[in-house]
Amino acid sequence: MNRIKGFCCNYTLSVEPDALKSEGLIPENVEIERLPCTGRLEVSELLDSFTQGVSAVFVVGCQLDKCHNLSGSRRASKRVSQAKKILEELEMDPGLVEMFFADRGETEPVVQAARLMSERTAG
Amino acid sequence: MIIAERKTLKELIGMVDGFNNILILGCRGCVAVCSAGGDKEVSTLASALKLGLSRQGRTIDIDERTLVRQCDPEYIDPLNDDASDYDAVLSMACGVGVNFIADRCPEVNVLPALDTTFYGANLSSGEWKEMCAGCGACVLHLTGGLCPVARCAKSLSNGPCGGSQEGRCEIHPDVACIWQQIYDKLSGLNRSDDMKNIMPMRDWTTAGHGGPRRRIREDLLP
Repeated sequence: MNRIKGFCCNYTLSVEPDALKSEGLIPENVEIERLPCTGRLEVSELLDSFTQGVSAVFVVGCQLDKCHNLSGSRRASKRVSQAKKILEELEMDPGLVEMFFADRGETEPVVQAARLMSERTAG
Repeated sequence: MIIAERKTLKELIGMVDGFNNILILGCRGCVAVCSAGGDKEVSTLASALKLGLSRQGRTIDIDERTLVRQCDPEYIDPLNDDASDYDAVLSMACGVGVNFIADRCPEVNVLPALDTTFYGANLSSGEWKEMCAGCGACVLHLTGGLCPVARCAKSLSNGPCGGSQEGRCEIHPDVACIWQQIYDKLSGLNRSDDMKNIMPMRDWTTAGHGGPRRRIREDLLP
């Protein structure tokens, strides 16, 4: 089964990722890492995930106008865009890395993102 | 500052073909400021190359390092101690850095990761524009501080040409006619009559047409 890697900030995902998995809300092949802020993510970390065998990567940050750290999710979004361009250069599908936004404490967008990326690589 | 941009990954992957270990060498000078070859870009390129190579079933060892500058001997000479152990050093400096390493480190196989493009200013985050051609014979005192050598498509000394239409250059509607801007600037300074002074034919030897340029300040020599 394809491995999916997700990065979420503490504000968009306030519950333990394993709890979502044990509740059956996110697929087993999805691994979520919580960060203090998605603005902390670098392009190299997104790319390294693929080198380490992950099939798709997603990032869930705060809504652009409600980021706890003001511009963290905006920075993350730009880095995801940069990673997409690099995937294109490497003749990979840029849709294998995606940015999502969620309101604080709303678990549903994270679940939807995980399912979408899992489905995207299922075929 | 000197502006540069990364070569395509396809070109770089081809460049390191057959190597087992390389050092990606960044520079914290101009190329770091223009986000082409500083610490962060070194890290991104290393990850991109690893990913690209892994997709071809290849792996090579990639180390990362960034120097304060690659255009001063005190920073690059230490490469003579350890960089020859690498099959190649992929420099993310401008062409000056690549040349300087090639000159001073005879056993180091240095390769360019960037295309060095121009001397430019940072208009806003992520946007740079050419402002100087490094021609070695500055005429900015005559042109209101605006350079006709770098910013006129024809490098005209006495413009504008007939291709200037409504303040735009004939090469592209997005390109302002610098001679129109020179006129506007001088007019604003009550110096529009300066436009009537015909600049003499330029001596382009100072622009590199006389071979590689060199500057010596004897008071600073060791």
